[in-house]
Amino acid sequence: MAAYVQVNGDVTEEKKQFIAVKLSSEIYGIDIGYVDTIVRMQKITRVPKAQSYFKGVINLRGEIVPVMSIRLKMGFEDDVFTNSSRIIILKIEEKGKLGVIVDEVREVVNLGASEIDKPSHDAKENKHSYINGIGKNGDDLISLFDINAMTEENFK
Amino acid sequence: MDVSQYLEIFIDETEEHIQSLSDNIMALEQEPDNKDVVNEIFRAAHSLKGMAGTMGFKRMQHMTHDMENVFQEVRNDTIKVNSDMIDLLFQCLDAIEGYLENIKETSDEGTNDNEAIIRKLNGFLEHAEAEAAHASGEPETAAEAAPAESESAAESSDGKHFSEVELDESDKKKLQAALDSGHHVYGMTVYIRKDCLLKAARAFLVFKAVEEFAEIIVYSPSSQDIEDEKFENDFSIFFTTDAELDKVLAAAKAVSEIENAVADEITEEFLKEEKPEHAAESEPKAAAVEEPKAEVPAPVAKTASKPNVPQKKQAAKPVTSRTVRVDIEKLDALMNQVSELIIAKNSLVSLSASNVVGMQNQSYQEQIEYLERITTGLHESVMKVRMVPIESVVNKFPRMIRDLSRTLNKKMELVMSGEETELDRTVVDQIGDPLQHLLRNSADHGLESAEVRKERGKPEVGTIRLKAFQEGNNVIIEVGDDGNGIDTEAVKNKAIERGLVTPEQAENLSHKEIIDFLFMPSFSMAKKITDISGRGVGLDVVKSNIEALGGDVEVKSVFGEGSTFTVRLPLTLAIIQALMVIIGDEKYAIALGSIVSIEDIPITDIKYVEAKEVINMRGNVIPIIRLNQILDIEPQEEEQESLTIVIISRGDKQVGLVVDDLMGQQEIVIKSLGSFIDNSTKIISGATILGDGEVALILDVNTLM
Repeated sequence: MAAYVQVNGDVTEEKKQFIAVKLSSEIYGIDIGYVDTIVRMQKITRVPKAQSYFKGVINLRGEIVPVMSIRLKMGFEDDVFTNSSRIIILKIEEKGKLGVIVDEVREVVNLGASEIDKPSHDAKENKHSYINGIGKNGDDLISLFDINAMTEENFK
Repeated sequence: MDVSQYLEIFIDETEEHIQSLSDNIMALEQEPDNKDVVNEIFRAAHSLKGMAGTMGFKRMQHMTHDMENVFQEVRNDTIKVNSDMIDLLFQCLDAIEGYLENIKETSDEGTNDNEAIIRKLNGFLEHAEAEAAHASGEPETAAEAAPAESESAAESSDGKHFSEVELDESDKKKLQAALDSGHHVYGMTVYIRKDCLLKAARAFLVFKAVEEFAEIIVYSPSSQDIEDEKFENDFSIFFTTDAELDKVLAAAKAVSEIENAVADEITEEFLKEEKPEHAAESEPKAAAVEEPKAEVPAPVAKTASKPNVPQKKQAAKPVTSRTVRVDIEKLDALMNQVSELIIAKNSLVSLSASNVVGMQNQSYQEQIEYLERITTGLHESVMKVRMVPIESVVNKFPRMIRDLSRTLNKKMELVMSGEETELDRTVVDQIGDPLQHLLRNSADHGLESAEVRKERGKPEVGTIRLKAFQEGNNVIIEVGDDGNGIDTEAVKNKAIERGLVTPEQAENLSHKEIIDFLFMPSFSMAKKITDISGRGVGLDVVKSNIEALGGDVEVKSVFGEGSTFTVRLPLTLAIIQALMVIIGDEKYAIALGSIVSIEDIPITDIKYVEAKEVINMRGNVIPIIRLNQILDIEPQEEEQESLTIVIISRGDKQVGLVVDDLMGQQEIVIKSLGSFIDNSTKIISGATILGDGEVALILDVNTLM
């Protein structure tokens, strides 16, 4: 699979930017094209009867934005808010803004197509359906979120 | 002439005229002898014809022209109104509406000549002609009648009407001034052909022609009246010119559809003479000159219609000049700005309340209150701008019911009330379809056939009611009928048949739960599919449409006596007055409109009925709901001695909501929760931002009842 790994610099290839975030002990990448803004943790107003992984809504400069816990959605244990917790505000076409909680925002990484592998699918493990690629940033591996799958809600 | 810029006005006005025609034709069916109605129809058809002609829509013009002819004969009592004719007239209206639809889409009337309808219209005319040999079969009897008297008036002065025109002081001064400066002043009277369709346009062309050589000083009637076609077949002008009179006359006569023009020079004597003469014997003259409305007894048509026309036009004029058409998007933007302003104001209020040092001085408080008053006023004004009466939607229903009555072969009448009730424009725009559906439903499923009604001892004519009124922050529209009512047994069986419930479950369903099946997708009770209903695309769509507007719909039905659908819609969409309450450590807003009272009830007053908590308040047994249970909030640790209960009502139902504390009344801006959060229980109708920036959720208490 790793038959060709091109050395960066020789060939200029189009690179995609991802925001590397930490959840539990893993690093995940969010396509920067979906990111509207990143805000500090703030008071989240709980919405009764909402999906369990929705923490509630926040006031983002006068706009009401729902906030989702990626951890709960992927079946991890609940978030522990610390000083480095952030809410990443995603902007999804037609459906509007959605905040997701992450433990920490690390950096912005540039990944070329050659640095992204297909995820190793394990059909039994549900959480992998939210990952659509593995990025290689030096020695670190970054699981890239499939934002559309992540934000898909079928409650009707 | 480029008329495209008038297209929008034309479309709006045509719609109004079609509506007016439809209403009046309905009225005519009820009282075929009412001349006022006939005149009103004639007037509307005439205006339509004129407008269509101006815009160059020949087919539409032709159709309205023929309609007008028929009414002409009705006015002259040569044709009697009968139901065939009413049917045909409605067909005409539909055809005109068809043209209008085409015009809306393509700016062109299309190519449908609707010959069949026109032939039938002419059939009526021919019939009339045969019956009344003396009355001319030609359509324009009105026009013919007009010159009859204009000629008689003109006899004395060789058709020089201008010599009889009563000039007012300022006009005389103008003429005098022209004479004084040594110009030749002439008077001219122009006669337009009786069958001319666009008299105002012809007059305009005459003016243009005359102005080539001359300067027009005085118009009689006034130029405004001429523009509005408020004249018979002639008008007069006074002008100065250095050219020969014959040239000017020839130019005026050269305009097509001008029958004749006469002119003569005006002298100082003319001006002076006129004065005493008019002062002395102005009575008969004035009557003769100023529009011959009073003096013509012969054609019924004229005397009856004439007073109507100027009145209507005068009434309409100032209205048009005082209104401005505004794009709804601009209003939305304005509304958003007002919302933001209110949020900013709320945060100022909460800042001043938070007792910051230096903020407590008196004048600061006063200014905050002042600001509060202004923002509230501003909000109300903007809301009012967006409000329109539901009339524009419901006034097409009588016609629809009439048609349904024909197609279904049932006798029914529609009784409407509260058409003036106002709603937000966006709501009004979308409420038409659901209401139409409910009415069709009543007509088709609700009302029984005449035979069955007779058997049941009901009046043969079924009644469908549409009633709109305001209740608190809601507008209620009820659609009811005195028909069959909902057969809950049949619905239950259908639900079992469709596998929605087991027979055992069905036994325990309440009346309301059974009726709710009707709102399920593709659940149709119609035994056979008709054009009107029964396709199963029905009440579920009605329900979802109404819910999309933030409203709801419920049904009351007594089998054998009829059913009533109650549609409840929010009056405003964006900003409401709300009571803020605290439950646990969360804050919620409850719309003030649904709150009846707030009570402090000792815990000992709570009674149990069927294991549910109730209170007995002034003789009313009111169930109470503990909001913390509904909203999954941890209950307070120690049980209070008394409970704060907010009594809310919906229709005649009341429920008490237990809250932990009250924060007070506040104006809140409703914001949507967005589409990500599952809100299928609909308990939360939205969110709002409080003065301190915190988010509070808005409870839709209607869902709790």
